[in-house]
Amino acid sequence: MHKKIIISAILLSGIVFADEGGRDVAPAKNTMYLKECASCHFGYQPGLLPKRSWTKMMNNLDNHFGTDASLDPKTKAYITRYLTLNSADSVNAGGYKRSYKINNSISTNQAPLRISQTPYFLREHREVPKQAITQKAVGSLANCTACHTTAFEGSYSERAIKIPNFRNWEEEGDDD
Amino acid sequence: MKKYILGMTLCVISINAGGFNPPMQAYINTLKTQAKQADTGFSDFDAKRGEKIFLSKHIGKRGTEVSCASCHSQNLTSAGKNPVTNKSIKPLAPSANPSRLTEVAEVQKWLKRNFNDVYKREGTAQEKGDVLYYIKSK
Repeated sequence: MHKKIIISAILLSGIVFADEGGRDVAPAKNTMYLKECASCHFGYQPGLLPKRSWTKMMNNLDNHFGTDASLDPKTKAYITRYLTLNSADSVNAGGYKRSYKINNSISTNQAPLRISQTPYFLREHREVPKQAITQKAVGSLANCTACHTTAFEGSYSERAIKIPNFRNWEEEGDDD
Repeated sequence: MKKYILGMTLCVISINAGGFNPPMQAYINTLKTQAKQADTGFSDFDAKRGEKIFLSKHIGKRGTEVSCASCHSQNLTSAGKNPVTNKSIKPLAPSANPSRLTEVAEVQKWLKRNFNDVYKREGTAQEKGDVLYYIKSK
């Protein structure tokens, strides 16, 4: 009986969070992280990948998707700690639906490095026309802010999507 | 007395304008010592050589032809753009972006990364100094 109440309460709170619209992923506001990582690309929220992915990535910064993104040992340790403490499978990501769904979509024996190749991400973007992604104003699926106008706030809501040079993105079905 | 102090301050500022701040100058001096050790004929860094290092194209780490200007643009006073991520890069020229070449750790980090990306190796002391003189001249 008690268990049922607790489960219902958890489910209810989940629905409340989803309706708030701002509970997609915890925003990445760490100054050091943004300085060191978001100078070359969007500051992807730590809650977009599980801990094992961040650990693997941070151990290979000399060859970070084809470029040298090496850091001094102290900075590297600090950022690794920030990423892993706030990863999609961390306590800190609790209640954030996109973190939950991304993490849930990845096999436990896999540690993907590209957020854009996680099953949940692929599913969510499968209907986006190819030209919308490859066009100059976007470039690739890694360029979140090109279309997700509130990505920096950790919100990937469909209402906030504006694909450049394409009519406002509308997708059938609900925002999950 | 106040006027004297103000005058002195202005003097110091004007001496520094166009030059490196003390920590950066110390780093430049270290590079000079290293460059001299590698080549006894070395006298000073040269912005002209630095320009060539900056603009010349090479098969980089990604296996494609790149130069420093691929990201930073040939006009250092304008913003650049990372061609892979589309992320805008603030101007490299100190005249357009005074925070450039002011922090030694930052400068060392980017020289290491970007020489590796464009030249697939780290820069020599002389190359680093030449490039820094070139950027500083902008």
